[in-house]
Amino acid sequence: MVTRAGHAAVMSLLLVGLIISGCAKQPATTAATAGPAPAPAPRAAAPGPAPSAAAPAGSGAAGSAAAAPASTARPSLKEFTAVAALKDVFFEFDKYDIRAEDAKTLDANATWLKANAENLVLIEGHCDERGTNEYNLALGERRAKAAMNYLVSQGVQANRITIISYGEERPVCNEKNESCWGKNRRAHFLVKPR
Amino acid sequence: MRRIAAVVLALVIVTALEFWAPPPAVRGQAVDVYINVTGGDRSRKLNIAVPEFTVVAGTDTALAKLLASVVGNDLTLSGLFSVVAASGAIPANNPAALEQTWSAFAAAGAHAGVHGLLGIRGERLEAEMRLYDLTTPEYRLIASRKFEVAAPQSRRLAHKIADEIVLQFTGELGVADTKLAYLAGLPGAKEIVVADYDGAAPTAVTRNGSINLSPVWSPDARSIAFTSFMNGYPDLFRLFPFERQRPVQTLASFVGINSSPGWSPDGRFLALTLSKDGNPEIYVLTVATGVLQRLTRHAGIDTEPAWAPTGQQIAFVSDRAGQPRIFVMDRDGANVRQITTGGFHTQPRWSPKGDSIVYTQRAGTHDLWAISPSGSTPHQLTSGQGDNQGASWAPDGRHLAFQSNRNGRWQVFVMSVDGLTTTRVTQGTTEATSPSWSPRLP
Repeated sequence: MVTRAGHAAVMSLLLVGLIISGCAKQPATTAATAGPAPAPAPRAAAPGPAPSAAAPAGSGAAGSAAAAPASTARPSLKEFTAVAALKDVFFEFDKYDIRAEDAKTLDANATWLKANAENLVLIEGHCDERGTNEYNLALGERRAKAAMNYLVSQGVQANRITIISYGEERPVCNEKNESCWGKNRRAHFLVKPR
Repeated sequence: MRRIAAVVLALVIVTALEFWAPPPAVRGQAVDVYINVTGGDRSRKLNIAVPEFTVVAGTDTALAKLLASVVGNDLTLSGLFSVVAASGAIPANNPAALEQTWSAFAAAGAHAGVHGLLGIRGERLEAEMRLYDLTTPEYRLIASRKFEVAAPQSRRLAHKIADEIVLQFTGELGVADTKLAYLAGLPGAKEIVVADYDGAAPTAVTRNGSINLSPVWSPDARSIAFTSFMNGYPDLFRLFPFERQRPVQTLASFVGINSSPGWSPDGRFLALTLSKDGNPEIYVLTVATGVLQRLTRHAGIDTEPAWAPTGQQIAFVSDRAGQPRIFVMDRDGANVRQITTGGFHTQPRWSPKGDSIVYTQRAGTHDLWAISPSGSTPHQLTSGQGDNQGASWAPDGRHLAFQSNRNGRWQVFVMSVDGLTTTRVTQGTTEATSPSWSPRLP
């Protein structure tokens, strides 16, 4: 019994390891390119002498006018809500690989998402306060991406998934100890109907 | 003491010649360095007397007092001077009283004296700074210069005077007439604030109730690039703090993160981090056209680009060696080399002189370190006082602003790179983080 459980654990570790190393070695573009042909060249700068394109973005009225190209890639964040069925996964300090125990959580999340295919998914990547802001923004992005790649590997359609990093800016716990930091290093899942 | 007197004497001879030459030549020809700011015994300071300004037009004696105190504080923060203050203004047009004042200051050990003459003319303020050498028997005039500002900018008069005094003694303009931009607020709600470099007159320049990050002054000191979640996702924007009607401009709003702005020295380009192509990579945006050039291609994290003052190289952070470390690459992304090893290193900031890169090392706590761009002689700048991170160079390359929690909550401090002077400059009731020191104001 013990032995079998041990074998199972080793097997799932190996499996996860394969998936993870696969994710890590590729330039991580697989899911992105397989996703919704991302909107044509999202608005970059147009600072020059006031080209009209700059106006909607600059005035903050990007909502309706600019929504058409951007919405496929960047749905409004407003109606996304957490559901009890989708659990957070957690990360080691300065790491963005999926741990074995979290792979199980993600398996369950994937199962729920496949059964509730009418939902879009938002994955938030978060960090603890250690390290520094800009790096943590990138690290949170990698965590959200790692969770996304895992879900995609489990059959969740990439074009349902949006990721966002908040870096260290949205902690759920504010004490300065490992227990608290560990809670903050997470990928969090929210959904909304398509 | 004797040596300083000799130094001041040499200064008097050279600058007196300069000063009495046609006035425009003064700044351009302030050639010799009289206070050695890069070597030698920098703990030895020049004693300078800053009595209250004399009001020569108008009646605002409170302002005259304030300006003298701001000049004194600026000279202290410069790390070069020890300020001898006194109350009571010198009467206008009274050479005997002036001589008496300098005589008393000289007896108290002052090597130099600043006499400010303040004129309040409606909406304009003007001040003349007269700098005297108190080590000569006749209290020789070293230099004088007039400055004018709009009334609401009265502190800038003092800052300009202090900067001129630093110029007279070092050959390089001081950095008092500059601003700091920083973040005020707790995680989840940080707004950008602009204040004088000494923390005075803080003014919020964003009020979007969102998360704003990474403010960085443009090289012309007219705009601030920053990351904001104001539209939901982390996008890059630019605001114009001195042009109230001018709307915030969107610089990059691609899928993924749009972060870590780093201006090229000429202000035409912005290096930034985008994850639109799969993972965080560094790109260069041509600000006028929106054209993007990708510089890094690596499966790990590449972020925090910081330009060399030559514009030819860019320092950045990558975790390609395991932990984040500092790397340098050419302007086009070629010739990548790792310059730090054996630690957790982020936030590279290339010095304005080009000879040093300051970064943050995490080893339990966070501390500032400096290293040469070739990767030699790393040395620690802060230690043993909480966390110290997020450095930003002053334009003189002799000072840094940074955030520290040494007193509890995060606040912004200013230090001289030699470590001799460290001063807290924000007094906010909330946290103050991510300072960006502006270039000298136009």
